[in-house]
Amino acid sequence: MKDTNKIEARRVQVHYGQNHALRDVDVDILDKTVTAFIGPSGCGKSTFLRCLNRMNDTIPTCRVQGLITMDGEDIYDARVDPVQLRARVGMVFQKPNPFPKSIYDNVAYGPKIHGLARNKAELDEMVELAIRKAALWNEVKDRMQAPGTSLSGGQQQRLCIARAIATSPEVLLMDEPCSALDPIATAQIEELIDDLRAQFCVVIVTHSMQQAARVSQRTAFFHLGSLVEYGETGQIFTNPRDPRTESYITGRIG
Amino acid sequence: MSGSLLIQDARTQKRHAAERRFRTYGLLAISLAMAALLWLLLSIFSQGMPAFRQTFLTFPVTLDAAVLDQEANRNPAEMAKITTIFYGKHLARALADEITALGIATGTMTAKDIGAMISEQSAADLRDRVLADPGLIGTTISFTALANGRIDGYYKGRVSMASAAKDKNTSPAKLALADKLRAAGVLTIDFNLGFLTRPDASDKRPEAAGLGIAVVGSLYMMLVVLVLALPIAVGTAVYLEEFAPRNRWSDLIEVNISNLAAVPSIVYGILGLALFINFGGLPRSAPIVGGLVLVLLTLPRIIIPTRAALKAVPPSIRDAALAIGASRLQTVTHHVLPLAMPGILTGTIIGLAQALGESAPLLLIGMVAFVRDFPAAPPAGLFDPAAALPVQIYNWTQRGDPGFVERASGAIIVLLVFLLVMNAVAIYLRRKYERRW
Repeated sequence: MKDTNKIEARRVQVHYGQNHALRDVDVDILDKTVTAFIGPSGCGKSTFLRCLNRMNDTIPTCRVQGLITMDGEDIYDARVDPVQLRARVGMVFQKPNPFPKSIYDNVAYGPKIHGLARNKAELDEMVELAIRKAALWNEVKDRMQAPGTSLSGGQQQRLCIARAIATSPEVLLMDEPCSALDPIATAQIEELIDDLRAQFCVVIVTHSMQQAARVSQRTAFFHLGSLVEYGETGQIFTNPRDPRTESYITGRIG
Repeated sequence: MSGSLLIQDARTQKRHAAERRFRTYGLLAISLAMAALLWLLLSIFSQGMPAFRQTFLTFPVTLDAAVLDQEANRNPAEMAKITTIFYGKHLARALADEITALGIATGTMTAKDIGAMISEQSAADLRDRVLADPGLIGTTISFTALANGRIDGYYKGRVSMASAAKDKNTSPAKLALADKLRAAGVLTIDFNLGFLTRPDASDKRPEAAGLGIAVVGSLYMMLVVLVLALPIAVGTAVYLEEFAPRNRWSDLIEVNISNLAAVPSIVYGILGLALFINFGGLPRSAPIVGGLVLVLLTLPRIIIPTRAALKAVPPSIRDAALAIGASRLQTVTHHVLPLAMPGILTGTIIGLAQALGESAPLLLIGMVAFVRDFPAAPPAGLFDPAAALPVQIYNWTQRGDPGFVERASGAIIVLLVFLLVMNAVAIYLRRKYERRW
């Protein structure tokens, strides 16, 4: 399955009111791969990520133009229900945002609203599997009824990952998932991302170039609302073609 | 230019002085407010507490069959022909007999004078009791009558021997006799349950006036407000906050809701009169109309805090739910509303408390009427005439007999207790569901 395009974007434009935030983005995102979006603040990388599960729909002034397909289907087609799309494209946010409910309920929420489990036993199994995949099981298995907000920051973020993968999405979007975490928690999450690659198509937005180099196979560099360069991570970091990419990764801009 | 740190320069001293002045003003303002509050509570409690005590006369009454049931067939329809005035005379005789039996000298007082010591209301009470239970006829019962308002006032400090001498409703001889009766145990001063359970009474009988119908009416109206205002207000707030598009129309609606919260309440009374009574054909003085007017009044006052509570829920929670694939309605009902609940409940209870204390709009829809019959149980009772606590207070302060001043202050205490309980519930709920994110 490697090297098949999961998501294809063609000439994507995003406007926030009068502000042209993203122009002419063309990207092919591979399945079972970690793709990193890097670039300075305000370059549009998070905006593009939020186009992929249509979270931009919740912002009234936001307009998305161009074509984004997943498995060949236009996700902005009028017949597409964003709710259904988001069940297949999970998302993890910058700041851990567990629901103020128990750990169990946090993870069980997705399967519950999508009717994925036929009974309690099946639901329990799904919750356990998701938490295991998020490498959190050993830490929380004895206190599943404790509130999710009682966990540490790194644990909360892994809980959010567990919550996102509990619905068995095909794509997992991560918007700077480690920026609010300490180095140890970051290392744990990065390790986790590498494991998740076996099952999901992972797209991660990050500020840290080291992180992009460590976890991703493909990297896209955004600058001032445009996609500057996209290719193999190794190539981007060792042999960038565009002078702007080179300036950024050597620390001259950004 | 650097002096010693140990010496404050003129600029620093000035700043400190300004701060001290500000603190003094603050303390002064708070002291004034506390003093005013204390004064208010003191005056209300000193005037109102006596309303919870009442002077009673307890003596045996023989319910003579030959007098009270002349047809001797225990037919309530026949017995009802015997009037309250007759019962009043009967009571007066019974009390006079008891006084003679106790060997208390009455001087020149006639049986009529002695009868005037009993509240006119008691004769009606006795008649009601006999008509409700004809089996009592022929027996001797121990009857507890209300003492006349002047006698009651004598023991509460409103009436003195000197003032009684000038009062055509009582006399020093009656007060002296009352003292003797008290020593003999016939006259007692007890907790006045009737103040909370009896209906209002006419101008001449302050001793019999109670809050019963006003309390029931106020509770019925609160029921209407809770059942109608809470769901409508929360629905409106959720729609405006979570679903409505942000445009000129939603801005206009928002501004108008804020303005409605500031509209004088009497205006709502006129609206209610025109809308519910003249146009809708609903009965006057009915808790349903009062409740509906208070619903109109309360709606903006619940919508505004509810919107604030919804706004206070962090957007990250909404993002999280939406990103998992919850629909917008699911996001609201599963996550946003539960988190906003403490704020919503607090706003609702404060809104209810304000509605409970509202009198002006109720005056306009006729809730100031003199009502003697308790309304039926809801929902039918919502259409029966009733009073309301704040209107009852207003009503009693308009009456001539000083006994009603005491009743009005007592009613204020009852109203304050209701408000205090509601605010306590609001605080409890807020603490219990303290924000958890």
